[in-house]
Amino acid sequence: MSALDLTLRGQAAAIAAGDVDPAELLDEALARIERRNPAVNAVVETFPERSREMLAAAPPGPLHGVPVVIKDEWPLPWRAQRFGAAEMLAEVEPGESGPYRALRDAGAVIVGVGNMHELGAGSTGNLSVYGPARNPWDTERCPGGSSSGPAAAVAARLVAGAVGADGVGSIRFPAAYCGLTGLKPTFGRLPMEGHHMAANSTTIVSGPLCADAADCRLLASALAGAPLEAAEPRGLRIGVVRDSVSDDVAPAVREACEEAIEALRAQTGGEVWEIELEDLELAALATVLIANVEGIGNIDPQRLNRLSPELSPIARGLLKFRMLLPAAASVKAYRVRTLMRHRLVAAFEQVDVIAWPTVPAVAPPLQMPLVELPSGTLTADSANVRGAGLANLTGIPSVSVPVGLSEGLPIALQLQAAWGRDELLLDAAEALERANDRRWVEALPPLAQAETTEA
Amino acid sequence: MEDPNRADDFVPAGLASLGIDADEVELAVMGAAKDLFWPPILDLLALDTSAVAPERQQDLSRPPEQP
Repeated sequence: MSALDLTLRGQAAAIAAGDVDPAELLDEALARIERRNPAVNAVVETFPERSREMLAAAPPGPLHGVPVVIKDEWPLPWRAQRFGAAEMLAEVEPGESGPYRALRDAGAVIVGVGNMHELGAGSTGNLSVYGPARNPWDTERCPGGSSSGPAAAVAARLVAGAVGADGVGSIRFPAAYCGLTGLKPTFGRLPMEGHHMAANSTTIVSGPLCADAADCRLLASALAGAPLEAAEPRGLRIGVVRDSVSDDVAPAVREACEEAIEALRAQTGGEVWEIELEDLELAALATVLIANVEGIGNIDPQRLNRLSPELSPIARGLLKFRMLLPAAASVKAYRVRTLMRHRLVAAFEQVDVIAWPTVPAVAPPLQMPLVELPSGTLTADSANVRGAGLANLTGIPSVSVPVGLSEGLPIALQLQAAWGRDELLLDAAEALERANDRRWVEALPPLAQAETTEA
Repeated sequence: MEDPNRADDFVPAGLASLGIDADEVELAVMGAAKDLFWPPILDLLALDTSAVAPERQQDLSRPPEQP
């Protein structure tokens, strides 16, 4: 087995112990990207000399010598982000983003840039200037977006950890579709410096995508510059909501998530409570409205007449459509934010975590990203946002955890906790992994299995 | 209740008022977006939030201050 197939923490420990040469590990990662990436289009650029320079200068941090991928949403000193698009509306240039600095200071080696959904505006990853990333579980399926490349890279075991961004579910959707663990931290907890929307956005955060919760803890700690401590979650009070987020989901998803919730309850000696959390659909809409209007905060309408024809027609149309959103609805969206924040305060007096499916159906086809739900056929984007928006709207942390497979594709449960309780979410995710004998976090997609078997 | 014909004019008229050009494909995308977003936007506008006290010093990394 290659050291690349170790967990992120396994790679870090093996390097620290002198069992693995980080220069050889970097060469292996670059070789694997060259060999395996064409099938998934997860990594859109490598820069071996820059990576070797990072390794040569790497301090003895918690990720010393460990290769990672970063989403095409963050500038690097040698490369400006492209945001998955032929053209960005913001002026960008190479530089030291917060996540870059944190990774560098932790000793990590950035080995490549991860693909992403065009302009970050989709939950599927099927649109990108680089061509879509593909789901390693089935390369004709969506990998999820907008952090499509980071997720596909980790699921294909090109690297063991990747940094994404989540403005409306953009870490959790691809984590769910690709069978990974993805943490959307509490707003402001992980670095955002250098992001072209950092000054405007009140929804976007940086965060880790890894195979399991312990690796997410390590990568999130590196990004935070301080450890997210682990603890045993005892007597966990799990809240469930009877709403479309839990009920209008594919039967296999519902069954797997209900089983996972019961397994988590049993593992922690906890309780499951049905709680009231009204207006979730309006909360999701409010999230979308806020994210969309904040994204055009500095746009002159005339600028939209000079959009590159290389942008997809969908991106061009949706950018222009944002200018038509009613101001009154935006104001109301901010009021809904406050309303939901107060409701969550009340909910988290009753329970420690709130659980529902991350996405209501498994990854849809790349060519036609529609999902079949009890209520009918919906676009994946409109179905996915229902369960994801609340965390971005209100600032609370959320984690997506793999809990099953259906049709050979991953199913995921989302856990949400009160502000600042990111550690509790990772504790709960690890408890859930133990409850199902790590079956789902250790499941490998066919693309990764084939080469492991050949090796 | 929206007059369907006048509502159909909303996108091209709104764009024109802002001086924004759009081709047929972009207009089709925007028409689909309007069909998708407008019903819930109308629901949102109808939601009574008058009892929601605004957060004057909102900090999304923390729970809201209790009124």
